[in-house]
Amino acid sequence: MDDDSKGSHLSVVVDLSPLYWARSALPAPENEFPLTLAAFLAQLLAFLNAHVACAHENTLAVFGAFPGKSILLYASSAPIPDGLAPDTNSANAYPPFNAVDAAVVQRITAELDALPEQDEEAPSALVGALAKALCYVNRFTLPPSANSKAQANGFHPGVLPDPRILVLSVSPDLATSYIPVMNAIFSAQKLKATIDVCQIYGPNTVFLQQAAHLTGGSYIFLERRDALLQYLIMSFLPPPAIRRTLSVPTQEQVDFRAACFCHKRIIDIGFVCSVCLSIFCAPLPVCTTCR
Amino acid sequence: MPSLHPNPSAEHVNSPHSLLPFLQSQSQTTLTRLYQRPSSCLSIFRLLVPLQQQIVMNLLWLESAIASSTMAAWVVREGKKDYDTALSTLFRLHILSTSPIKLALNPTFKTSFRQALTGGGTTGSFGVPAPKDDKHPPMGIDGLDGYALERWETILHYMVSSGTGQNSMRPSKDVLYLLQRSGLMASPHGSLQITSAGFQFLLHSPHAQLWDLLLQYLRMAEERGMDLVEVLSFLFMLSTMELGREYSTEGMNGTQTAALTQKAMLNDLRDYGLLWQRKPSSRRFYPTRLATTLTSSSPPLPTSTGPSSGPKEGFIVLETNYRIYAYTDNPLQTAVLNLFVALKYRFPNLVVGSITRDSVKKALGNGISAEQIISYLIAHAHPQMRKNNPLLPVTVQDQIRLWELEKNRLKSQEGYLYTAFTSPADYELVLNYAKQLDVVVWENAAKRCFFGSLDGHANIKGFIERRTGGNA
Repeated sequence: MDDDSKGSHLSVVVDLSPLYWARSALPAPENEFPLTLAAFLAQLLAFLNAHVACAHENTLAVFGAFPGKSILLYASSAPIPDGLAPDTNSANAYPPFNAVDAAVVQRITAELDALPEQDEEAPSALVGALAKALCYVNRFTLPPSANSKAQANGFHPGVLPDPRILVLSVSPDLATSYIPVMNAIFSAQKLKATIDVCQIYGPNTVFLQQAAHLTGGSYIFLERRDALLQYLIMSFLPPPAIRRTLSVPTQEQVDFRAACFCHKRIIDIGFVCSVCLSIFCAPLPVCTTCR
Repeated sequence: MPSLHPNPSAEHVNSPHSLLPFLQSQSQTTLTRLYQRPSSCLSIFRLLVPLQQQIVMNLLWLESAIASSTMAAWVVREGKKDYDTALSTLFRLHILSTSPIKLALNPTFKTSFRQALTGGGTTGSFGVPAPKDDKHPPMGIDGLDGYALERWETILHYMVSSGTGQNSMRPSKDVLYLLQRSGLMASPHGSLQITSAGFQFLLHSPHAQLWDLLLQYLRMAEERGMDLVEVLSFLFMLSTMELGREYSTEGMNGTQTAALTQKAMLNDLRDYGLLWQRKPSSRRFYPTRLATTLTSSSPPLPTSTGPSSGPKEGFIVLETNYRIYAYTDNPLQTAVLNLFVALKYRFPNLVVGSITRDSVKKALGNGISAEQIISYLIAHAHPQMRKNNPLLPVTVQDQIRLWELEKNRLKSQEGYLYTAFTSPADYELVLNYAKQLDVVVWENAAKRCFFGSLDGHANIKGFIERRTGGNA
């Protein structure tokens, strides 16, 4: 079979921080275009269905980043457990669409209901979800010989040509996650995975901008949030092969600032250890990382 | 010497699906009626090439038409040609409404496809699942695969063995008629014989074979007075169904004629192995893998080897000494190999033969091309062979192509021989004129004659007449 027939893989990482989604839904004086979580999910599902619709072989995985934890919401390679299987029997919908929609919505609802009541919300585990997405891609792009187990499960080895990861973020940068994000970027480069980022709410994030830039993906700061679906479809649906014909927006300016290792602050000017390249906000006589 | 290594794969990449030209030849009303069903829209969308899909998607959620120039602004300069081709195909399929300056989807298509993506509506176009059957145990996926394979191989095996005089199981009368109409088989002497088109057909992938037959079925449907839209929608509905689930025949038909069409199709498609029914009168049916993979490129048959558990994909080992080892016990595959291999031994799980000049000549004589033999060998190569680069021994590939070239030592071309020029100067003048037109096939200065192709004759004749007229 030629490469065209293999379909493409898309992993979507969804930031589901209740705090920022609540802020995003506030009406006019706060936001010019309020966007509720429910409206977002409806558009997200249409986008996911569009990806599944493009080819029978297209694979999809959806990861949710909740405060303090990240879980796999849906993966097309894993069968849906009986409890979550949609009671479909509907003649009006395509069964795979039903399966995606039901699994994603039910799991998100279950997780959000199970969130403990706290005064202060833990930051959402976006990096954890991103790392899980990378692990998922890695699992299916291993060389065939090392992958006899996956083969036995009925998956074709190495079937994920040009894998893509789409990060839908609403939280601002978390300075402590600088090193994990950079590590994720490097492993994505190694896997030849493209990271696309859509910042739906809040200010531009420095780290995700860099992630998109360094992996050849596109970063979009959503200005017209009422047109989310159109943004998603036009910029993030086309696989890399199509992007060579129909261009997608890329950033003109990338914020390359880094966070210091000592206080985890984003800094304009830093001091770098000449041996291990650790970054500090103040000059130190002895590097604390490599001594 | 002509190049021995043409690149066969280059043409196939991004080539449109064989159904699309057929759809393009249909009228706008037919297509618009077809687009009323969400399942048809989804299936047709899947048959499009990725670029066309993206264009459709970009336009799908827009409420108003947008200017063509706005859309074209997204196109990279090098991709302009692909983009224009994609657009023109969409216009011909009437997925885009015809308007040169504004781009918008056909409103019917837009509504239905949106419905397909979001669910909802009451069209029931994705098949009505049957309620749980208490009397019979459900049919397993293995059983369905076995059934589909058995039906499909019966058809193919009948075709292969028709030339050899062996008797094999006859498929039903309708299938035979279809084979005959499609030109894959013919009955010059009373009994059905496979044609050269049929031999080529055997070497195609199962997916291409399936669509070949279905296209023919669609052409016949019009003659049989069946409603083409109903036939197509039914096929597309099958392709969106889920393997291993039982569907009901009730509730999906609208009018009286539609019900009749569907009943006839259930019967026909059961013969081809696309769906399974407990008994012909049953009101429930299961789609098989042949049907559910219609719009995908995953293999439509579970394993191409027989009922026993053989290797999943390739089974052919080809050595540089032209020997071929085929790990199969499947009579169909053996018969197909027999088309171009001189078979020597047969073991329970292995067939050994060799590719010889005579065996290849026989295949070429049947209308099979060298390229088809090679692509068949590549498609069915044993996993062990896949470690080699190139996959097939180059000597064997080249030799098969050379044997084909042997057939083409003579080439005939119609034309005119120009002789009896009075002087070398005359000859040179006319010859140069003919060379400018690029119509000279052969020339001989010593005998003062040359041979020009047919289409240049009028010009050359006129030229000579003008010359002689001027002299006189």
